[in-house]
Amino acid sequence: MVVLAGPTPQRLATLIARRIASWWQVTLFGGALLVLALSPSTYTRRRRPALARHLVLDTGPNLAWFTLLSALISLVLIRIVVVTAFSYGLSQFAVQMVVRVLVLELIPTTGALFVALRCTIPRGAELAEWRLVRHRSGALAEARGADAVREEVVPRAVAGIFAVWTLVAVSGVVALVVAYLVVYGFALGGLAAYTRTVGQVFEPDVSTIFVLKTLFLSLAVGVIPMAWAWGGPPTRHSAAGRELQVLVRLFVVILLIEVASLMGSYYG
Amino acid sequence: MPYLAVKAIALIALMLLLVVGTALYVMVARGVFEPTQQLVLVTEDSEGVVTGMDLSFAGFPIGRVRRTELGAEGNVRILVDVPRRDAHWLRTTSVFTLVRSLVGSTALRAYSGVLTDPPLPDGAVRPVLRGDATAELPQVVSAAKELLTNLVTMTAAGSPLNESLATVQGVAKRLEGPGGALGVLLGNDAERQRIFTTLDRANALLARLDALAGKADAQVFGASGVMPEARATVVELRGLLVDARASLKRVDAVLQDAQVVSANAKNATADLGTLRAEVDTSLRKVEALIDQVNRKWPFARDTEVKLP
Repeated sequence: MVVLAGPTPQRLATLIARRIASWWQVTLFGGALLVLALSPSTYTRRRRPALARHLVLDTGPNLAWFTLLSALISLVLIRIVVVTAFSYGLSQFAVQMVVRVLVLELIPTTGALFVALRCTIPRGAELAEWRLVRHRSGALAEARGADAVREEVVPRAVAGIFAVWTLVAVSGVVALVVAYLVVYGFALGGLAAYTRTVGQVFEPDVSTIFVLKTLFLSLAVGVIPMAWAWGGPPTRHSAAGRELQVLVRLFVVILLIEVASLMGSYYG
Repeated sequence: MPYLAVKAIALIALMLLLVVGTALYVMVARGVFEPTQQLVLVTEDSEGVVTGMDLSFAGFPIGRVRRTELGAEGNVRILVDVPRRDAHWLRTTSVFTLVRSLVGSTALRAYSGVLTDPPLPDGAVRPVLRGDATAELPQVVSAAKELLTNLVTMTAAGSPLNESLATVQGVAKRLEGPGGALGVLLGNDAERQRIFTTLDRANALLARLDALAGKADAQVFGASGVMPEARATVVELRGLLVDARASLKRVDAVLQDAQVVSANAKNATADLGTLRAEVDTSLRKVEALIDQVNRKWPFARDTEVKLP
């Protein structure tokens, strides 16, 4: 014990320093990715087909599945909440609770996780593999590195960000419609009261937090896997190991964003 | 344009449409595009009042709390936005209440008794009546406890209420018995029997009185009863009265004669007065003559008093 106590803190410090350095490297690369994503030169006519392909491939197949899945889960959750609220005589709070829990809290997070698992993490793994191959072969010169980022990395990141926004928007609207149908049925009489309740939930600060949360979730999901794949330090892990590593890191970031949004919403 | 690009544009359009549509819907839901007028409600305690809560009228939300602030006098000012299309429900005589329920949120309500009163002006300041269910809870619990104690005392074994009920039950049983209500009233059977005897005797007496009344009827109104004779007597009396009237007329004439006689006597009396005056005068003259004779007469007395 006494013998081992000496080098352990040193190793730990080295490990932490390495982690911080790698996170810093990834953060810098992520920032560069965002700058590239926002610059008009990324969207030149020559690069548009690749971007369109990634947008459609990342969003299209997922949209239908995720919408269906979220509609089903929303239906079950809304039904449970509404029935419970009615049985306790708190029906006036049912709609508020449903909108708060589902639209504001659950849907953005699940949407982000869904996009991460189905699109951005596998795309990031692809990139990492490609980068490894390129590194080994040394076929591509450093001069073409920036172009490779612009042509291969940025479209994938933008597609991930866009997919999160689209999924959250579609499933949010679907959840709102399902909530109305569960509470009021196929009658238009409750529309005014429902609209008013939704308005009460979407206070300016809550709406701002919701938009910011979705924005940061989408950025995290779109950028982090690509940044780790392309900008992170080289790793000896297998493809599956890399994916798992990225997933854990992404999950930590999503958790932090979620905690921050909850603190903003309910401790404000 | 390639098929992929069309799909990408469609996806981007869908996303933008949903995001912008949702934003517009939320803005409409929050009444951003609706012209409103302001109402300031003043109360002592803003507990339970939150921004965004409804002001309801007859269960319908007609306004929304925009802000709460502390006034200069230490009271709470609740600023409510009332849409113009709903503002006509609020009148100058409207009453506003803030009710805290035991479970659930606080409710801000408006009551307009007379809807023909002038409408509430923009920026009107009105007091709020507070109704706090939880504030009165200790009193209610205390009163309920007292009530329960009283109830327990009332329903305990041997309590006056229980005894009264037992007595009432006994009375009810006796009411159902052979004696009935009379037995309950009189207490024992002997008394009840006496009442029955009295009733029988009263019945017999009534029968006899009935017979007596029949006989009296015959005596009074019969053919040779009192009434026909009385009628004959009345006829006779009428004849007598006629005679009396004639006698009185004669007496009247006699009296008139007497009156004439007395008038004559009165005149005679007046002449006697004159005669008496004349006699008086003559007598005075005679007296004066005698006095003169006496003075002149030698035997007249010396009436003068001579002083030495």
